[in-house]
Amino acid sequence: MRTADRAFGLLVLLALGSSALLITLLAALLPRGFAVVTGGTADIASVVAVLVLILATFGVTLGLASLFRQLLATLSLIRTLLSRRVTVSRRVGDVAARLELAGRIDVVRDPRPFSFCYWFRRPRICLSTGLIRRLDDAELRAVLLHERYHLRQRDPLRLVIARYFAAGLYVVPVVEELVEYYTVQKEVAADQAAVRAMGGVRELASALFKVLPDADDVDLGLLVPVGSLSVTEARIEQLVDGRAVPLALSRASVALSGGALAAAAVLAFADGLHPAPLTLPALLGPASLLLAAAASGAAHQVRLVVLRPSHSYESTSLPFGPRTR
Amino acid sequence: MPDDVRRLKRARRDGPNAFLGPLETAVMDRLWKRKQATVRDVVDDLAKSRPLAYTTVMTIMTRLHAKGLLVRDRDGKTYVYRPAFTRDEHRARLSQDLVRGLVDEFGDVALAQFTAELDSVDASHRAALRRIAGSDK
Repeated sequence: MRTADRAFGLLVLLALGSSALLITLLAALLPRGFAVVTGGTADIASVVAVLVLILATFGVTLGLASLFRQLLATLSLIRTLLSRRVTVSRRVGDVAARLELAGRIDVVRDPRPFSFCYWFRRPRICLSTGLIRRLDDAELRAVLLHERYHLRQRDPLRLVIARYFAAGLYVVPVVEELVEYYTVQKEVAADQAAVRAMGGVRELASALFKVLPDADDVDLGLLVPVGSLSVTEARIEQLVDGRAVPLALSRASVALSGGALAAAAVLAFADGLHPAPLTLPALLGPASLLLAAAASGAAHQVRLVVLRPSHSYESTSLPFGPRTR
Repeated sequence: MPDDVRRLKRARRDGPNAFLGPLETAVMDRLWKRKQATVRDVVDDLAKSRPLAYTTVMTIMTRLHAKGLLVRDRDGKTYVYRPAFTRDEHRARLSQDLVRGLVDEFGDVALAQFTAELDSVDASHRAALRRIAGSDK
């Protein structure tokens, strides 16, 4: 099984496992929450119950917001681009037909070189005229092979699901790290599929080289920790010497995720087995673990879901920032 | 940030000169032609086609300087302005911003892309890629 598939499988497994545990916790705490809301006793266990219910509601909201935003953003981009759709040229049509991609290609008039695979049920491939103009037939074939991998794997759909899980399960921050890992791996896997089909790296490498944005001034060298590589840099390393990107989860997020899940298990089963009021120390430990994980994960996910990811703006491309050269 | 997003949106619609207003474009055109100029030079140049007050042109040039498009040196009491970039460099910078903006602007787009993250690639990776792009490995 390919690394990208393994990464996605692991992500889904972890997400479903965590969801099951958290739903169990919810089911256990719901009666207590109701009791508080309807004016019952407000002992410490009930307060914890209400707190956890608030965290859960927040998670569901974040998950749905992530889904909604992704759909909206995708629709908006596609609508904008497809309004500039042109007829698929014979050259592109021929290359596509040989790869069994006939009828699955859209070409849009745009001087910027880009290509992507989009939509969920029956994905399609979008190419810009700027890209087609720059590539020769062999390079175009390599790019289409790369996109065909995404198309066959339904990667756009997988990406939406992965991000949905990461947002909804913000108390398990490891899920977000798995999403990032999967994001790199799916590109590497698509490159590998193209290289295998082409019988070598040359065409794909030269296509990638042609579409790189202009050189940045920084030079970190090839031997930098993988964590600081951009997706494209990781892909280049894989193409150049087959160096794979290892799964590197941060200790903090593993600890927080493990802690949160353990805490959820303790709270769910302790409360389920002993409906009598829980003792304060038995509650405070797990509850504060859960809260810590929630606070850390929420900060990150809210930034992802609510705010526009604006990092590259700030660092590199304020349209007319101070001259840096 | 919303300002930049709006600017990018407008730019995508209007093409490469959209980050500049019409007066700014006129002033930059003069500067690119003359290589360097004082505010007075530009006012005189523009007077034939578009009479503008000295203070208007001064404001525009100060703004272009603040945006990093013009550099200036003091010559006695007046400033002499020069373009910070050639016209081609300016265009290249703009299109690079737009490419990065495409992904940023639409936020969480659910796409799998060949030109995926049009993110930074340092010189060593660039050189390594160029090497295998030219070889038969």
